[in-house]
Amino acid sequence: MFNNAFNSLSEVFLMQSQNGQNHGIFVWSVVVIVFISILATFIFYKKNIKKISKKLK
Amino acid sequence: MYQVSRAYPYIFYFSLTLYLLSIFWGLFLTPEDFVQGNSYRIIYLHVPASFISQSLYMAMAIASAIFLIWKVKLSVYLVRSIAPIGAITTFIALVSGSIWGLPTWGTWWVWDARIVSTLILFIMYLGLISLHDSFSNHEKADKFLSVLVLVGSVNIPIIKMSVEWWSTLHQPASITISDKPAIDLIMLYPLFGSIIGFTGIVTCLVILSSKLQILKRERNKSWIKSYV
Repeated sequence: MFNNAFNSLSEVFLMQSQNGQNHGIFVWSVVVIVFISILATFIFYKKNIKKISKKLK
Repeated sequence: MYQVSRAYPYIFYFSLTLYLLSIFWGLFLTPEDFVQGNSYRIIYLHVPASFISQSLYMAMAIASAIFLIWKVKLSVYLVRSIAPIGAITTFIALVSGSIWGLPTWGTWWVWDARIVSTLILFIMYLGLISLHDSFSNHEKADKFLSVLVLVGSVNIPIIKMSVEWWSTLHQPASITISDKPAIDLIMLYPLFGSIIGFTGIVTCLVILSSKLQILKRERNKSWIKSYV
């Protein structure tokens, strides 16, 4: 069930498919966008809750 | 709300771990797809976001109905709290879908029924937020928001069924309740993991957003100091 899909770091980065196309740029862009969006949202809410809680205290 | 706040760290760490492990499994330990090559790995990020963006709207619709029928104030706070999170998850679904479309379809955008109905969902989320915030009278804003959410919920079955009703470039659902999944089990397990993990992470965001909403709306009440 668990088999490494890639053998080296450059393969992981490029994610070359059998048709010769490199799909790494697409996959990694999505990974970056998703993680930045989630992280930014958490930071936004944590900061705002802290700010408003300080005011209320 | 106190119990929810106490459960928050458990939900957060469990979901984050599950999500990261599933993404790792999907990105590095599943085989390449025969047709789409390695670009199919975007599924582990796109599908959870897409699923959650629609589920959040349904949650908003249920909370709106509760507010309109039983006048439960907390439910309309929940509606307003979910809206920005829904907008973010829909944004992720749209952007990841566009990026996935480039190697798969040869274009990042087509005016396809599934994509357009998802774009409408994103615009609806933004519209609901700005409309609610444009009112100075909170009671009127809450009622207006709830009614509009219920009216807009008609878009959810359209998004869901768009790939069946119209001839679309977007592929039909790979997982359905009635049929055998169109995706191999080796690829399916991490997909389930990422959906459950992402649902937990988004639940944590909704908890934070609701907390902020309560603090903003109830700031003049005496009990709020004990809540802070």
